[in-house]
Amino acid sequence: MRNIYKSFGANDVLRDIDFTVSGGEICALLGENGAGKSTLMNILGGVLPCDSGTVTLDGLAVHFKTPAESLDAGIAFIHQELNLVNDLAIFENMYIGRELKAKSGFLDAKTMCEKCQDVFRRMDVDLDPRAMVRELDASYKQIVEIARALLMDASIIIMDEPTTSLTDPEIDRVFDMMRTLQAQGVAIVFISHKLKEVMAVCTRYTVLRDGEMVAFGDVKDTDVDELARHMVGHDVRTQSLREDRELGEEVLRAEHLSQDRRFQDVSFSLRAGEVLGFTGLLGDGRSELFQAIFGSGGRYQGQLYLEGKPIAPRSTRQAVNLGIGYVPRDRKENGIIKDLDILENGSIVTWPRQAKMGFIRWKQVREDFNRQVQGLKIKMGSEEDLIGSLSGGNQQKVVLAKWLNAQPKVLVFDNPTQGVDVGAKEDIYDTILALARQGVAVVVLSSEAQEIIRLCDRALVLYHGQLQGELRAPDITDQEIMRLATGGGAQSQSA
Amino acid sequence: MGKAKKNSLPGRVQELWRTNPLFSTGMALVVMIIVQTMALSMNTSFGSFGEWFQNWLQNWISLLRGNAGIGIIALGMTFVIISGGIDLSVGSVYVTVGAFIMVLLNTGAGGWLQSIGLGGIPAIIIALLGAMLLGSLLGEGNGLLISYGRMPPFIATLGSMQILRSVTQYFMKTQKTELPDAYKAIARLDIGGQQLMPILYWAILAAAMYIISYKTTFGRYVFAIGSNEWTTRLSGVNVRQVKRRVYALTGFLVAVAAIIQTSRIGSMDYASAGSGFEMDAIASVIVGGTSMSGGRGSIVGTVFGTLIVAVMNNLLNLIGVDPYLSAAFKGAIIIGAVLLQRKDKN
Repeated sequence: MRNIYKSFGANDVLRDIDFTVSGGEICALLGENGAGKSTLMNILGGVLPCDSGTVTLDGLAVHFKTPAESLDAGIAFIHQELNLVNDLAIFENMYIGRELKAKSGFLDAKTMCEKCQDVFRRMDVDLDPRAMVRELDASYKQIVEIARALLMDASIIIMDEPTTSLTDPEIDRVFDMMRTLQAQGVAIVFISHKLKEVMAVCTRYTVLRDGEMVAFGDVKDTDVDELARHMVGHDVRTQSLREDRELGEEVLRAEHLSQDRRFQDVSFSLRAGEVLGFTGLLGDGRSELFQAIFGSGGRYQGQLYLEGKPIAPRSTRQAVNLGIGYVPRDRKENGIIKDLDILENGSIVTWPRQAKMGFIRWKQVREDFNRQVQGLKIKMGSEEDLIGSLSGGNQQKVVLAKWLNAQPKVLVFDNPTQGVDVGAKEDIYDTILALARQGVAVVVLSSEAQEIIRLCDRALVLYHGQLQGELRAPDITDQEIMRLATGGGAQSQSA
Repeated sequence: MGKAKKNSLPGRVQELWRTNPLFSTGMALVVMIIVQTMALSMNTSFGSFGEWFQNWLQNWISLLRGNAGIGIIALGMTFVIISGGIDLSVGSVYVTVGAFIMVLLNTGAGGWLQSIGLGGIPAIIIALLGAMLLGSLLGEGNGLLISYGRMPPFIATLGSMQILRSVTQYFMKTQKTELPDAYKAIARLDIGGQQLMPILYWAILAAAMYIISYKTTFGRYVFAIGSNEWTTRLSGVNVRQVKRRVYALTGFLVAVAAIIQTSRIGSMDYASAGSGFEMDAIASVIVGGTSMSGGRGSIVGTVFGTLIVAVMNNLLNLIGVDPYLSAAFKGAIIIGAVLLQRKDKN
């Protein structure tokens, strides 16, 4: 791709971008949210037309007008938002639009399943092609998407942040598969925020910033710090952010919480000013545990105490009134309300206390929100714009704002930096630590070991809903977390 | 899109057309009104401007008065649809509340309030409060089925729609009713020689609903729930309570419509009264630009939508189109409106 330009309205998204990828190569496309990575790949994938510039494939100039044309040319684009139909089986999803038919004219499910099985074997995953996609978790959905690209004999596979919702062993599996494909001469474009993954799997890199190409080269000649610097345009921190703090009284105590097969006999205690991490692999039950505590996860056994008094919030409203907050994972599904504006998204939790006789005092709401906007460094146009007009990082900050205003005693962050660019990530970490300094009891749920290590005073590791062990800073390490998260820990615990 | 274009008048109009759904709905209404006015003017010859104006005004008053009932019901339907639901039972609630008023206030044989010795203004006040309470309770019933019974709104209200009309018809088979004159004054009170009360009620309720939709926690929760129910719940909102209230509010508004209509006409045909109201109300809401999938919409849009449908019916009447064809035009308006709005989205 040469001299690519693209603008939306008055907004230049891409300026004079050159981008090359050849077979047998895994090329990282890096940049913060809004840098133009997705737009560039959308042009290659035929989703968007470019304003000027040329795209050349195997020496021939091409001009894709639709995703289908691009696909026929052997370019498969795996989008960040997965493109699967939940109510169809895996094999139906993989063959959607190109179903195989038997001589009778009916669908040939048997052959389709067999071919899917072949692909799965190549990828070393254990999936039943007849299983419904609905029943798969996010990571397996991602794997099905990749399998679909393989099934189509794609020569270029574009992967837009494929590891966002995957756990470490699954990421490794995906990487192994990428290397296998690389060895077979497939070209892979890997769009990611996670620099460690880039270092681990990619051979070349291209960094975009604000629609311009700022750096490119071989991955072996660079390191994480340099890449991060290119992405944000200045130095970033990678060291631990933990600090010694005076811990206050115990705020939250859980005794023997259990719910069906989701989590069993979980007990822990949390003090004011403490940052407690919960981590584990997919299916560890940490989100379910804290949704239950927050009153949105159904019934459970066991007892909760808030500041020594037994509590049992049955609804989210009750939990909020008690002083418990929960910043959910999966911002798009659980965090933002797309038809409301920025201000409303950033304040909905506190409306009852900002209202008089049911009438919202918008002036008050605006003042409270603007304080958070400054504290969180939210970059936005007008607060009356829809929330969708913001980048992922800023959307997440708006979600944080509504909870900060609620001034909870306990605030739970579930994957707080999912799909957030490097700069926003640091801002969110700063916010979390500032809360702890103010004496808020903070819980961080994360699948990123690095996040737990950098933030938490104490970390509890879950495996299939059971507490495996407790780690205390500064002895929280990648290896220890992984050992416990894979069920390799001692059953004893000291929570 | 060039930058220069944005500042020119056509550019700005284009921008409004694209970004503000109310603008296109409003434009459609203006066009309809112009055509209707022309049709009215050509229809009959007038001696003077004063005479023409009198005629024009009279036509408008009767148009607005005739549509006040459906207009008020559509206000409630707007909230229901914005919250992501639907209420098919409004026509049946309407006839049930109407029958209830009849039974309470009947001055002939079998009137309940009369039989316990209540009459005059106190009886009317009791009947009004009773009717509003009944409407709200029936709506609340729908709300309970939907929020606590976790039923899809379509099914819950389809059920209550059948039950209410059938039971009402069963009990009201042999009733012959006569309403007190004082009750009829609710809608028929003369203001400067015109019966404007229904229009006034509609205007007041529309203004109140407009304020509720933008200024209250309840109103904003309705939008939030329609857009993303789970996130709203995770923001500490009691979603079930809000949903219950949405349907109760709609029941209340239907009761008001029933009061106005019974007072204006003085009687009710239990077999046909209110039938098709759900579709008329939904049509008004849709034409007014509210999204069927929830989260987006407005009260002003619904008022426009009600007027567009009303003006079109009036226009068909004026130019003498066969009444059998009027439903076809209504259908065309609905489809056309939605096509227009779809274009706006991009």
